[in-house]
Amino acid sequence: MDLSPFEADNSVSCRLKSQIPDICRTEDCCLGIDEAGRGPVLGPMVYGICFCPISRKEELKDLKVADSKTLTEAEREALFEKMDEAKSYVGWALQVLSPNTISNSMLQRTKYNLNALSHDTAIGLVQHALDCGVQLKEVFVDTVGPADKYEDKLSKIFPGIAVTVRPKADSLFPIVSAASICAKVARDFAVKHWRFGEDLGEVDADYGSGYPSDPKTKAWLLRYLDPVFGYPQLVRFSWSTAQTLMDSRGVTVHWDDDDDDEDGEKAAQRRNNRSMLSYFSAAAGGGSQSGSNQTHRFFSDRKLKSLDTL
Amino acid sequence: MTAKKKRTPQVQSDSWVVIAADPVMDAQTHGSDPTFVRLRNPSTDAGSLYMLSSGDVQLYEVKAFEEEFHSWFVGQTVQRDGRLLFITQMDPLYLILPYLIKSGIEGKFQPVNQVVMDEEFPACSRLLSCTRSLGSLQHVAEEKEVGNLKFHRYSEEKTLSWLKKKVERTVAALKKRNISVGEGVKSTTYIRVKTESDHNEEDYLRYAHGLISEYISEDLSKALHKHLELPEITSPKETEPPSKKRKLSDKPVEAGEDYTKFNSADFVRKSAKKMTAAQKSLAKVDKTGMKPMSSFFSPKEGETKYWTSPPKRSEINPWKIPFVIPHVRAHNSSVEGVYC
Amino acid sequence: MCSQLTHSPSNKVCFYTFKIPEFTSFICICYSMSNNTNVIHVQVSSVGDAQRVPVHLMPCEIEHNGPAQVSQYFHATTKDRKQEMTVSFRGRALRGQELCCPQGYTGVVLKETIKPGSDQEDRTVMVTSVFDKMTYWNLETLPNPDDRVVMAMDWTELSEAIHGPVED
Repeated sequence: MDLSPFEADNSVSCRLKSQIPDICRTEDCCLGIDEAGRGPVLGPMVYGICFCPISRKEELKDLKVADSKTLTEAEREALFEKMDEAKSYVGWALQVLSPNTISNSMLQRTKYNLNALSHDTAIGLVQHALDCGVQLKEVFVDTVGPADKYEDKLSKIFPGIAVTVRPKADSLFPIVSAASICAKVARDFAVKHWRFGEDLGEVDADYGSGYPSDPKTKAWLLRYLDPVFGYPQLVRFSWSTAQTLMDSRGVTVHWDDDDDDEDGEKAAQRRNNRSMLSYFSAAAGGGSQSGSNQTHRFFSDRKLKSLDTL
Repeated sequence: MTAKKKRTPQVQSDSWVVIAADPVMDAQTHGSDPTFVRLRNPSTDAGSLYMLSSGDVQLYEVKAFEEEFHSWFVGQTVQRDGRLLFITQMDPLYLILPYLIKSGIEGKFQPVNQVVMDEEFPACSRLLSCTRSLGSLQHVAEEKEVGNLKFHRYSEEKTLSWLKKKVERTVAALKKRNISVGEGVKSTTYIRVKTESDHNEEDYLRYAHGLISEYISEDLSKALHKHLELPEITSPKETEPPSKKRKLSDKPVEAGEDYTKFNSADFVRKSAKKMTAAQKSLAKVDKTGMKPMSSFFSPKEGETKYWTSPPKRSEINPWKIPFVIPHVRAHNSSVEGVYC
Repeated sequence: MCSQLTHSPSNKVCFYTFKIPEFTSFICICYSMSNNTNVIHVQVSSVGDAQRVPVHLMPCEIEHNGPAQVSQYFHATTKDRKQEMTVSFRGRALRGQELCCPQGYTGVVLKETIKPGSDQEDRTVMVTSVFDKMTYWNLETLPNPDDRVVMAMDWTELSEAIHGPVED
């Protein structure tokens, strides 16, 4: 699998895709969606779609794609090669969500949680297939959350397409298994060949599984903790494992939205109020000024004040 | 997500990020080093930090940009203190002036080096070494020469015309820099009738007066206000820029950018003052059906410390603005016709 | 319980009385720490050895003073759009912009390398770094002219108007 577009800048999200088989533009198609790397504290999360004409579903079965989790890494790679050979009727696309994208989103002022991020990514990929002219009639989705709600949501967004959302869909529908294999191969590859944007010299690439519970992963996180910067961008800063380690062993960092335990909208409103207030709170700007004097608006607007001493 | 983190107190910093006027760091020009000194701030009467260049030839002012939640990366280091210091040239006459004024009470001509003395801030005598100092004394004092000796006596008249020139220079700089001197609220939510380009001369004058007042005593600031023929504050609009020196005990209203912050008592007291021609004509307008403006500023029950809490959304409801506009507009001659 | 009786004009000595129930009042003399006769020298000759370094104003308070692997970890990327820069710090997205020192001004970092032994002594600061531009970072929001630090740069020009010499 060629991940070079992602590797060129692994701090951002990236879409990789196969050619669209001509037949998928003329015949009714089915499409499967699955994700890889949701749980780990390291590396990207990859969303995959795979599609083929409904008439050739059986051929896909013959490729012996199965739930990617039951396969070894080597087996998955072999299957991906097989699918590549079937490119006359099988197409795929991947969205690689970099760990930095995940951190940025989840730690955003207005929180963007992983579920919302996952849903939006899946929707984006289906839309991509439609935009490429794939004649979609059936969509099968693997989910970790409540299936019903998600199914309703997708059905509303894509009217005219039969949407089936199921837990463990990757072991039920071959097209989802195929998507799962694509995603998993990309995720493994990305972690294995991770190019650090940071200048860390030789980095021990023995991360373990990347799951927080894995002692190897934990040891790696302890070893590569920088007191000021925390971690390289391979790590998802929004994972509590990473946060706890930074809180206990790193330098404390304060942000202006630290104490927001309210929801994003409220927080935004509060901040808005604060900045509104600062327009007229000359007193707030006059902290170092003694007594009755208020600083002129020119200075308080610019957060400028006199000094008593150096 | 992130747990509340206690902030450990900032230990006294030992490094500072500074933007300094070029001559400060010019190692070639003079023999000795520039020094930070504490001198009496003419506006607050307390000590503030200044800088004297090598040989004391130039005075500098030190200001700090200080916003919460900031730190620096400087090369390969972190500096927790996120302030940015500005070291800018300062006119030493502002600092000399209070001493002249004080000695001027006696009405005698005196040698200036016997006047500019301060037990609390001994460095103040160094102000007289500044190149500009002795030459510029004539802007604020009458001079008499007896033999080789010069004697000075404070002149308010001279001082006011000197300050007026300062104000004019400041107005020019405000315009050049395109600095907003109007009502202050940048959003168009409050007043739509006026755009940035509509700032009139009075707004500029008032704003510049406020700035110069940062460098003179309260009394002199008032005298300058008069000298500039600035109308007395008669409406919320005209409290802009915030009349400095407002005593905190002076009840209410802190700064007039948000009209909702005015409490009724204050507003009524102010509007009772001298009316401008426009206001007079406005007074003739049939206001039946208009709510008195003060009703919008009345603090809610038990909310006496109104100005300490942010206004609620509902209290800055733009729907209320139509009632405010006539008062505001009354001062803007360009729209006077609408109401006459 | 503590009331200030007199406050000498020199600001160096304050008399306080402490009223403690069932005890007689007593007077305590406190010497103020601030000493107005002392000055802080800026060792300008150190400019020669000062390094030109990248300077970043971060939108967070970092409880640390001292070395950090800035060049190893902190890599700003410039997007195709004009001058807009992005970077992440501790997983948070920052947007930044370069800000030049106003004309006629130089950026320096002063450091007090040796603390005086007592508060009776003069202090000395050295110039450890110089810069003519810096990068300021906002948390997530696009840099814009209303950012306080950009507005603060107005000060140099205004100060010249307020403090420049007046002609007769």
